[in-house]
Amino acid sequence: MQAWYHCENVYPFVPQEVLDRAESVRASLPNKYCDPKISADLFEECLDEHLLCDGLGVNVVSIEHHSGINSLYGASPMILGILARQTKKVRILSLGTLITVRPDPVRVAEEYATADVISRGRLEIGFVKSGDSEMVSGNANPIGYVDRFWEAIDLIQKTLTSHDGPFSWEGKHYTHRHVNIWPPVYQRPHPPMWAATGDPETSAELGRRGMINALVLRGPEASKRAFDAYRDARREAGLPAPGTDRFAYAALAYVGDTDEEGVRVGSKLLWFLNTSLKQSPQMSKLLPGRSPPEVTAQNYRSQPKPGAARRPADSLIGITAEQAIARGILCAGNPDTVYKQIMDIYDKVGGFAHFIFIGRSGFLDHQEAEKGIRLMAKEVLPRLPAAMQTPAAQPARAAE
Amino acid sequence: MMSGKAESEWLNVRGIEVETLRRGAGRKILVLHGFQTIDREARFLDLLARHGEVIAPSNPGFGSSPRPKDFDTVYDLVHLHLDLIDALPADKVTLIGFSFGGWIAAEVAAACSHRLDKLVLVSPLGIKISDRETPDILDVFNRSPEEVRRRSWHDPDRFAPDFDAMADEALVVYARNREALCLYAWHPYMYNPQLSRWLPRINVPVLLLWGEGDGIVTPDYGRAYSGLIPGSRFELIERAGHYPEIEQPEAFVERVYRFLEE
Repeated sequence: MQAWYHCENVYPFVPQEVLDRAESVRASLPNKYCDPKISADLFEECLDEHLLCDGLGVNVVSIEHHSGINSLYGASPMILGILARQTKKVRILSLGTLITVRPDPVRVAEEYATADVISRGRLEIGFVKSGDSEMVSGNANPIGYVDRFWEAIDLIQKTLTSHDGPFSWEGKHYTHRHVNIWPPVYQRPHPPMWAATGDPETSAELGRRGMINALVLRGPEASKRAFDAYRDARREAGLPAPGTDRFAYAALAYVGDTDEEGVRVGSKLLWFLNTSLKQSPQMSKLLPGRSPPEVTAQNYRSQPKPGAARRPADSLIGITAEQAIARGILCAGNPDTVYKQIMDIYDKVGGFAHFIFIGRSGFLDHQEAEKGIRLMAKEVLPRLPAAMQTPAAQPARAAE
Repeated sequence: MMSGKAESEWLNVRGIEVETLRRGAGRKILVLHGFQTIDREARFLDLLARHGEVIAPSNPGFGSSPRPKDFDTVYDLVHLHLDLIDALPADKVTLIGFSFGGWIAAEVAAACSHRLDKLVLVSPLGIKISDRETPDILDVFNRSPEEVRRRSWHDPDRFAPDFDAMADEALVVYARNREALCLYAWHPYMYNPQLSRWLPRINVPVLLLWGEGDGIVTPDYGRAYSGLIPGSRFELIERAGHYPEIEQPEAFVERVYRFLEE
């Protein structure tokens, strides 16, 4: 199994009374509450954690979120560029550039190709649909974002695999008349592609495309539903059954020397759920576009009737460590315990070859994060099962 | 083709099915809704129907009107209504547009004044007046629901929708209308940068009506709007916000009637 270290580079140092008063900790919280000197320290620490991972054989994830305490990584390709140069061995996953809020996928493809070249073929490209406050801070129309998501992926894939001079793209959402990026990608035909998503329809399409499906903080049940949709779609399309190499599971995770330490320190990760998810209703449940009106209408009521659409994140706010562990959102304890927790999830979802662990968040500090990474790499990762390859999967290879 | 008590029916405009409220008889009064479709129980509808045949379509994506594939811009809406006007059995049509529908009405009028006899714009959107760092129109998507409610109405407690009291079906229509509005008007937000240039093409009598307490888009915006349409008249309606036709239906229809009779 591959382990992937995931850190959102959060900014937890805004006074609690400010957060309590704010309608949203994303998009509209003034950036005067973000000290650039503290931010510089955070970047240094988080990037150092990625370098530690490089030495330990733990792959690294570069994410992107905008305008809030939940992440200072506003531009995944920029962080990719640093990781591509500073790490030497491990693979680097962008999960991912918020493609639905970017006006030009060709530009994103160009940035990805550059990072792939700098890293000499260690890049993996993940896509996320984004939504909620990021539509607002990204100035992107929340209606039709799923269509934009797929067209952007198509255009990026075409851009990365075209090597014979300019091609033209006149799609529904994107037009670009002269596409011919330099440098081309290092890996051929292109770096492995992923998407983080939880809805079965999207997973089914990922299955047909053979992309890696990552489920982030969704727990085993929702993950299994998504993975099953992936498998079913491939079977219905007459494609080979996927190996575990097509599936990724992401959870908050912390390994301590003891269960007590693992849970005590790991509980700090819950800040991400309990503090950084606060969004104003107009930027979340009342923002059109995420679900059909038939589903979202109830959100206007002060007491929505049963069956109203809830964002997956809503059910995570206020969660305790015990609940989070029971729901497969948090893995925490000593190495044995964490190994068992991961394998329990593994069995419930039908296997995965990629375990993404969110190992730093909130007030969990740099030293604690590095200890957790070391224990995960040395005491847990070696015991996790090997990946099962998908028969038709095309292994990436270096450009000749 | 219509009865005096007509309720909603369906118009087929070049293959597009459009849910349409029809009421009254006489001069054709085409009414374009704003953020929300027009409530069939709205008092102003009956009052207006005393002066002509009110034809109030729900734009594609709004109300119960389906939205055809790739029908997703104001350009589509404008051409739909140009087509609809062409299909009406009358030489001239009176056009009334509210808010977002006022934008569409202004676009339609700039394109085909010759098919209109009069134009009434009620708190219309659609143009950019202030400098680049001053939004003219309250962002009804990004601002808090409380602020939008407060700035929409002169008397929000009396007139703002009570979501807890609404039937499920009405609530779905409300959400559907929000979704369609978001699709058409997200960017640039509620205006066409080119429209101001072409407003002088409108060469029929134009009345702009504005609720004096409109906090979605202020009366000053309306005065500037009026200044771009030669010969147009700007009037305020007291004790009304962004929806004078709902908060002051009698005063609203009285103003419209007087204008139509001139």
